[in-house]
Amino acid sequence: FPSRLSLSLCLLGINKMAGIFPQDPALPIGSTLTATCSVSPDLGLHASSLFWSLNGRRLPSSSYSVLSPTALSVTLPGLPASRQRSGDNLVCHNHGGHVLAGSCLYIGMPPVKPVNLTCWSRNTKDLTCRWAPGGQGETFIKTKYTLKYKLRWYGRERECEEYNAAQPYSCYIPRDLALFTPYEIWVEATNQLGSATSDVITLDILDVVTTDPPSGVSVSRVGDLEDHLSVRWESPPALKDFLFQAKYQIRYRLEDNSDWKVMEDVGNQTSCRLAGLRPGTVYFVQVRCNPVGIFGSRRAGIWSEWSHPTAASTPHSERVLSGSCDSKSGDYNSTLRRELKQFFGWVRNHAYGCGGMSIKLYDQWRVWMQKSHKTRNQVLQGDKS
Amino acid sequence: MSGHVKNMCPQLTISQAARTLLSLLLVAAIDSVSAGVVCRKQPCGSSLQRSLKLTKLIHKESVDLLKTYKLSQGDMSELFCQMSINNVPDPNISGLDPSERMLSIYSHCKAFLPHLKRVTEQQTDLQPPSCSLLSKLSTAHNRTNGLANQINCIYQTLFPNLPIPPEPVDGPTSVPPSQNVFQQKVYGCVVLKRFKAFLSRVTRELRTLKSQVCTRRITFADTNALF
Repeated sequence: FPSRLSLSLCLLGINKMAGIFPQDPALPIGSTLTATCSVSPDLGLHASSLFWSLNGRRLPSSSYSVLSPTALSVTLPGLPASRQRSGDNLVCHNHGGHVLAGSCLYIGMPPVKPVNLTCWSRNTKDLTCRWAPGGQGETFIKTKYTLKYKLRWYGRERECEEYNAAQPYSCYIPRDLALFTPYEIWVEATNQLGSATSDVITLDILDVVTTDPPSGVSVSRVGDLEDHLSVRWESPPALKDFLFQAKYQIRYRLEDNSDWKVMEDVGNQTSCRLAGLRPGTVYFVQVRCNPVGIFGSRRAGIWSEWSHPTAASTPHSERVLSGSCDSKSGDYNSTLRRELKQFFGWVRNHAYGCGGMSIKLYDQWRVWMQKSHKTRNQVLQGDKS
Repeated sequence: MSGHVKNMCPQLTISQAARTLLSLLLVAAIDSVSAGVVCRKQPCGSSLQRSLKLTKLIHKESVDLLKTYKLSQGDMSELFCQMSINNVPDPNISGLDPSERMLSIYSHCKAFLPHLKRVTEQQTDLQPPSCSLLSKLSTAHNRTNGLANQINCIYQTLFPNLPIPPEPVDGPTSVPPSQNVFQQKVYGCVVLKRFKAFLSRVTRELRTLKSQVCTRRITFADTNALF
């Protein structure tokens, strides 16, 4: 049944009848806090009849001190970090357990200097920065991170405004970025117990450019060649007109194998032939781009993501796995063979002392080469295991 | 550092976010126009049925909303929720006849809106940004606004000769002035507890209204059709 006390609270509001000091304080972990609950004389309560609770647990009366007939204090030594971001609930009750007043405690740490600040630009249009909180990464109380930037030699300090709730330690600057001039960028971390600033990084947008993966990646067979696949792609559309010296990388793997083989130096071309592949096998291929040479810059940019995997299979036969971006070896072999055949025919008719030379001898030699390749590779694999 | 984060704010998962988005889109699709714009005339039964469905949805979500709220405030939340605070709308629907009761539903919906908004603002400062409480509060606000608009339209359709329900007189002054954190926690709990109780009453009321008012309307319309 509502007591006279509850009715009073109802009419006048809880803050007028009782109060706690300090109200909602922020304190470092390990602090000792003495809080005081003061009640209005109109309530007709004596301080000795009150009790305290913290996060739902009643505090021992040995920690209380009656300061006056209407004021009871409690001392909390060595406070641990706050259990929830909204603060620990320190509550003053009357003898019946009714809530008279409350104060939310924020126990935590001042921020540690943020670290590992890195930024990148997508196609020179924007800038995304990411950092990590310093120390163990947790302050237990609400800590605000602000990314700030300014042009190195002039211009005012600006703040990044687009923070991502899903990625707490990053920020996005969508537009109005200058090129060919360095920026200074840093992160400030602030909470109720203090603040900390990261090291300043200096960068030119053009030095940290990444782009989209190459588009239109296609993988196809090279005629009947059982150990070749041809890969073609287009330069990323957003930077197509600016990528004077772009670099590409290709990686490929067998369908049932998770180990990628990377061809690191594909250069500026937009096609490549993979050779020395296993016949009758499905391969997955991906390509990525580094926007080197954008706007004449000499510096390498940041590699794009790999393109979506494209699959193709080699025709059936037997070969050994090796890898190189061999431009025309297949064509070379069949052309060579044809020429050799013609040559040997001519030799038989015109040269004396080389009568035993024939295309059959050449074929036998090739078979011998394959066998010795296999043996050599088996030995290598044996060494690896 | 271990064992500290006991009563963490429930985090929004991707599937929850997707469900919320889907629900919002669904409600937006069936939501009627806002007060002050001409409402499309709809059959009495189906309008009230839609509002009843919406009310049930908001009520169901308000149960989870209150639970999430309590989890985010830390221990001792139940006692807070039992305290009395001035100016928070009471959950009871008043009025003797259907028009008065419908008007009461409308004005109560409108009255809860600034309080829901205030709780959302306060909890935005108190909780981490990924806290699911914040999106649930926002959803409750939007849906309740939609429900108020629907009730407004139904009222205008059913009682065209009665004055259009006015905007509530208690504007921004109805929400309490700045409060300390503890008071905010108490306030939020009281608002959401009363909100939940209100929605439960609205569900019952709309069922009753549907049977009372729409049956009468059908009879009247049939009579009209004879001429």
